[in-house]
Formats: sequence, C-alpha cells, structure tokens
Amino acid sequence: MIQVTALNKVYTVPKRGEGLWGSLRSIFSREVEEVRAVADLSFSIQAGERVGFLGPNGAGKTTTLKMLSGLLVPTSGQRVVAGFDPSKRDPAFLRRITLVMGQKQQLLWDLPPKETFALNRALFGLDEAEAKRTQEELIELLELAPLLNRPVRNLSLGERMKCELAAALLHRPDVLFLDEPTIGLDVRAQVAVRRFIAEWNERSGATVVLTSHYMADIAALCPRVIVIAGGALRYDGPLKDLAERYGGGRKVVVRTRDEAPETLGPFVREDGALVARLPSAEVAAAVDFALRQVAVADLSIEEPPLEDVLSKLFAERA
Amino acid sequence: MSLGVSILALMRASLLTTMRYRANFIGEAAMAVAWAAWTTAPLFVVFDQAPTLAGWTAEEALAVVGFFIIAQGVLEALVDPNLRAVVEHVRQGTFDFVLLKPIDAQLYVSLHRTEPLKLVHCLVGAGVVAYAARAVDAGAVELLSATLLMLAGLTLLHSLWTVVVSSAFFFVKVDNLSWLIRAGLDAGRWPVSLYRGVVRFVLTFVLPIGLVTTYPALALRGELKPSAGLGALGFAVIFAGLARIAWTQSLRRYSSASS
Amino acid sequence: MFRAFPTLLRIGLAEAVAYRAELVIWVLTATAPLISMFIWDRVAAEGPLGGWGQGEMARYFLLTLIVRHITSSWVVWELNENIRTGGLSPMLLRPMHPLVFFVAQNLAAMPLRAVILAPLMVGVLWWRPELVWTPEPWTLVLGLVSAVFAWAIAFSAQVIFGSLAFFSQQSLGLFNVYFGLWSLGSGYLFPLELAPDWLRQLLLWLPFRATLATPVELLAGLVAREDALGLIAAQLVWVGVFVGLAAMTWNLGVKRHEAVGA
Repeated sequence: MIQVTALNKVYTVPKRGEGLWGSLRSIFSREVEEVRAVADLSFSIQAGERVGFLGPNGAGKTTTLKMLSGLLVPTSGQRVVAGFDPSKRDPAFLRRITLVMGQKQQLLWDLPPKETFALNRALFGLDEAEAKRTQEELIELLELAPLLNRPVRNLSLGERMKCELAAALLHRPDVLFLDEPTIGLDVRAQVAVRRFIAEWNERSGATVVLTSHYMADIAALCPRVIVIAGGALRYDGPLKDLAERYGGGRKVVVRTRDEAPETLGPFVREDGALVARLPSAEVAAAVDFALRQVAVADLSIEEPPLEDVLSKLFAERA
Repeated sequence: MSLGVSILALMRASLLTTMRYRANFIGEAAMAVAWAAWTTAPLFVVFDQAPTLAGWTAEEALAVVGFFIIAQGVLEALVDPNLRAVVEHVRQGTFDFVLLKPIDAQLYVSLHRTEPLKLVHCLVGAGVVAYAARAVDAGAVELLSATLLMLAGLTLLHSLWTVVVSSAFFFVKVDNLSWLIRAGLDAGRWPVSLYRGVVRFVLTFVLPIGLVTTYPALALRGELKPSAGLGALGFAVIFAGLARIAWTQSLRRYSSASS
Repeated sequence: MFRAFPTLLRIGLAEAVAYRAELVIWVLTATAPLISMFIWDRVAAEGPLGGWGQGEMARYFLLTLIVRHITSSWVVWELNENIRTGGLSPMLLRPMHPLVFFVAQNLAAMPLRAVILAPLMVGVLWWRPELVWTPEPWTLVLGLVSAVFAWAIAFSAQVIFGSLAFFSQQSLGLFNVYFGLWSLGSGYLFPLELAPDWLRQLLLWLPFRATLATPVELLAGLVAREDALGLIAAQLVWVGVFVGLAAMTWNLGVKRHEAVGA
C-alpha cells in the first residue's frame, strides 16, 4: 500500500541577524542554513498493517507523514501511496487517505460536529445512504451520540478528538495517517482512541500509520515499529524484537535469603541482589541455575523499559 | 455535479457559522445607510464648488460612488472573511486540512467563510446606482453593460485578493497588507479620469479599482467605447489567470517549505 | 506611577521598531488625505476657489496628513483586544495605570511615525513646490499647542469607545460610526471652509474639527490672529469634555470588569 524509496527532505532556513543591525543586514545578504529533516528513508507497508513511527522530537516523523499525504514535497526520493504519487494531490488519491493531527482540527469550531460530517460527506462526494451507514457506525464505536448537537468549542479535548476521528473516516479511506493523536488527552480518552483505532483497522482493513510520543500508544497498537532519529531509519521491525536487540534482553533479579555472593555465573551483585542481563533465550536456563545454586527469597524477570531502549537507540549515531 | 454539491455545502457551512453570532440585520442596514451617506458626502462638497469636473457631473460621479459601495460590500461579505480565515489557518497549521480535501483549494478558500449580512451594503450601493442611472437616463443596454463590467470588476477584485492570500504563505501577517490595499481602493470612489499621470495608470492597471468603479459608470452613461469595455473584460480574464498562477506557485512553495 | 514613564517610552520605541512593518503600513493606510489632495487639486486646476489655489490645497492636505498622523492612536483596538482576551486583568494588577501605559506606547512611536512620513512629505513637496509657505512664529507656536490638544481629544475619544468594550460587543461598530462622522466633520476629507454654509455652521459646534482642522488651519496660516485664541479656547473645552468622559467611562468599565470577572 505504501512504498518509500530513498526519501530525503532538506529545508533551507534563512539565518536571521540579531538586533536592528542584523535585521537590516539580512535584508541585503541572505544567509541560509540547511536542515536535513529526513535522510534516505526507505520502507514498505502492506495494506491493513498497523505501523508506528517512533522517534524523538524533530526526528522527521511528522515530516515523513506529511510527505506521504502529499502536503510536503520531498527533496528527493520516491513514494507511492495507494498507487498514487501523493504530490499530485489527485482527488481520487485524497479520497483514499486521511490525516488526523493531534492538537489541530478540521472540525468547524462554532458548529456541532454533525455539520462537519455533513460538509465532509458533500466534499468527498459520498453516496448518501452509504455515508449515513458509515457515520452511524462511527458514532456508535466512538460513543458520539451525546456530543452531536453541541458546538465543537464546547467539547472537551478528548471528545473533540473522537469527533475528529469520525469526521476523518467518513469516506472510509484505505490509509489512515495519525500524527500524535493522543497528545494532551487524559488517560481515559487515550484508551478510547487506541481501542477505536484497533477496532477500525480490523473492521475496515485500513492501513494505519501512527506517530506518537506515548509508548503506550505504540505498544497497544503497533506490532511493527519504524524508528526514526535524526531523519534516518534506525529500526524497522517487530516491536518486541526492538527490546531484544537494543535493550540488552531481559533483566533477571534474584534476592537471596542470605547475603548474595559477588558473582554467580551470569549474575552480578547489585544493590544487595543478584542481577543478570540476558537475551530472552537464556533467561530460563539462568533462572534454573540460580534456583539450584542459592536459596532464593524473591525472583523477578523484567523487560527493559522501552524508553531506555529508545534513548539508547536515539543516542546511537547512524 | 458533485462540485455543485460541494460548493453548496461550503456555503451552507459558512452561513451557519455566521448565523451563530447574533446577527443584527437592522443594525447592519442602518450602518450601511450611514456609511453610504458619508461616502457620498464629500462628493457633494466637491461638486458644490465645481459643477462639472473633468467632464463628470455630480450625478454621473454618483454612479461611481454607487459602484464603489457595491464593491466594498462584496469585499466585506465575500472576500475579507475568507482572507482572514486563510491567514488564521496558515498561522495555526490547519491549512493542511484544506489541502487534504478532494476539492480545488482556491475554490475552497474563496467560499468557506463569508459574512452574507454585509451584502446589505451592496443593496444600498445598488440603490445609489439606480438613482444615478435615472439621473443620466440610462436604458436597458446601458444597465446591462454596466452590470457586466461590474461583474468583471468584481472578478478583478477577487483575483487581486487571491494574489494577496497567496502571499500569506510567504509573509504570514498579511492582514495588514489587505488594509493597505483597501486604503488604495479608497481612491475608487472618484472617477479615475480625475487623477492624472502615474496615479491614473496605477489605478487602472495595477490596483485596478478604476476598472471596477469608473468603467461601469461610464457604461451607464452610454459613454464606454466597446473597445474599452472588451479590453476591460479581457483584462479581468487575464488577471484571473495570473492570480491562479500566483496561487499555484505559492502552494508549491508552501508544500516544500512547511514543516 | 510616572517614574517608570521614561522606561516605558524606551521600550515603546523598541517595540515600534520591532513592529516597523506594521507601522509603515499603518501610516500608508491613511491615504485619504492624499486622495483628497489629488481630487481637490483637480478642482482648483480649473480655477482657484476663493483663496484656494493648487498650492493652498496641497499645503492643506499635506498638513492634514501630518497632523492626522501625529494625533492618531490605535488604543481603541488595543482595548478591545485586551478586554476580549482577558489581557486587561494583568494590566490592572500592575502599579501602572493601563491608560498611562497606552499613552506611553503611543508617544513612543512618534519618532518612527515622523521618519516614515518624511518620504511622503518630500514626494508631495516635489509634486507641488508652490505649497511652500513661511508661517509666522505665533502660528507655529499656537499650531503646535493646538496639535497637542488635538492629540488629547483624539486619544480620549478612542479611550471612550474602547471602554465601551467593557459593556458591549458593538464597541468597534460604534467607533466606526464615530470615525465616519469624524472624517466628514474634521476637515479630513475636505477643507471645512469649502463646505456648504449649513454644514460649516453645524461643524462649528461639533468636536470633530478640534481634533484636526484647528491645528491644520493654524499651521497653514488660514486663521486670523484675533480668531486664533478663540479656536484654542474651544479646543480646551473639548479637551476637558473628552478627557472627563474618558475617565468616567474607563472607571465605570473597570468597575464592571471587576464585578463580572475577566
């Protein structure tokens, strides 16, 4: 559904002089600096997949999303989305995709959400009966019934995001781009949004491409992640393997009844307990070994927090 | 067919939005009449001192003012609100949503925010024109050609505003620029033949308010040469084309520069 | 409260420089005197009207442009914006009276406004060199005093309408009405002397001319010595009226603001 080859995006940003003298000077001599937002990105996403883009701020995730939806023209590289070149902004293409941005909305501010739905139904040229059916489905899934008649500006952030999702999906697009959809939402709303996206993906088969800062979003929704840092691809694969590869596997912590020895096989004493960091495959054997060697008072096997994994990944230079 | 549906839906949405705020029809109508009064007053002061000016009598010049008032009404109702909305979109980063709709962005942006109540000014202006038309004995042909030229003039104004909006992608604080142009258009309340030299050239070809207000008035008098009239219509078409180019170019720039 | 005034002026000047683009546009939007200048020049070209030849017309409208700009303010928009967005509340909590702040802001932008006007002045002088005149010293002195009074009246008028924003959404609409009447009655669009008799008589009693026509006429040397002091006295009366009204509406507005909440 989505094919990206060697995508590059470089911005030329004018350097502005400081103070009165500097701004006068910058009228005459334009100094520019180049900012590489996306460097040589390549990946491919199949129809119906749910993929998460992970990366620190300014990594190029939003830029990539905008290039995929046709809002931004790349400096070089190819991308094909739903069989189209996004930059042409063919109306047929625009009917097959949708973009939802957290903190920004397309809902008409002063009117109830149903007016935005009506407008979108007309703009996308949807068959009335079918559109009504989709609308009802979305209203039910997102529990929008009590909100339909209140002006958007009177809704809470979470309610607005749910309506935003409905407005964006009326035309049943094949690709759903989500840029930080849960940002600023309370926990309940976040959970509702996540649940909805998963449900919709299953029902409609839409491909979901999601960027987020919240690990919980990615963990709940995306079996596959693409990690982008400094504009470059750092990892593309299953989420669970990410921890494996970069988290140094799992952490086994054994608390002994008597004082713990300095070392014991793969274990090392840390803060009064025996700690071993091992790849998943070796955990069982190590636990077995520990149980046999010492009197174990407590045992725990921890996954490394994804945040640690990611900071390590982001810190790595390409 | 679906284009028509889209346009109607856009206008409906913008109408509903305006109606949300308690629109005071009587207040607006009163304002329109008052505004027309002090737009025409200077004209009477001038013509009190000089019965004809560059071949124009007070009644004939009144037609110019009438067309000017109509143009102002159209600007306030249909053009300015859209301009302000686009500037706001670009500022808030929600312009992207406009680009994601399967409808031509220029069309969308020209229709999505209107203040229909301000059209009352157009009614008042039409009244002034009607009065002037009677005074100069305008017949059906004259009225028709005047209307045609007025429409061409309004197209010109719309194209001018499209160029201004296009610049919103480069300099975001474009609302000030629109004030500047409005002030320049103020010169249009007088027949353009009253100006001389550079100013007259500018007001006819660069900031073509002369075409919007003076030419229809000349047509009303039956004094517009067909060649000039056709020239004006042609100019409106060309200018619309140029505006379209300016728009697509700046969209291109927007889609390579926004982050 | 006035100790911080010099600092305010300095900051205001810096702000004015920062917003120089807006200021340039602001100055340029007052094209009406220039347009009127062209029109009345045309009228006078066909023959002088009384004492008004092309030179006199150009002089009058150039002075109108200048005086208009040094007496103009934008506080009605500032007040509307601040009251609407709740930005007035922090201002009220400061030990400096918000109106003093706005006065400082206005005065601080004067140098820059003068600088921006200079090229326009040069342009007009080049176009109609016969407008040049040598004013007598007393007209200059009285003219400047009159300009200060005009500034006070204009500023107060904007404060009055701005304060209406405490009470009504129609504040700017009402100001537009005032502005329309002002443009007719102040000599902005045409010299008052050339208006029809009945209008001229009516305008003698209205405050509008005190904000523009009086200083312009004085500076242009159009006023006889014996009438000059009378005009200034009339201005002073209007200054009292407007400043008083401004203080009153402001205080009433603030009281309402405190009762209703931000």
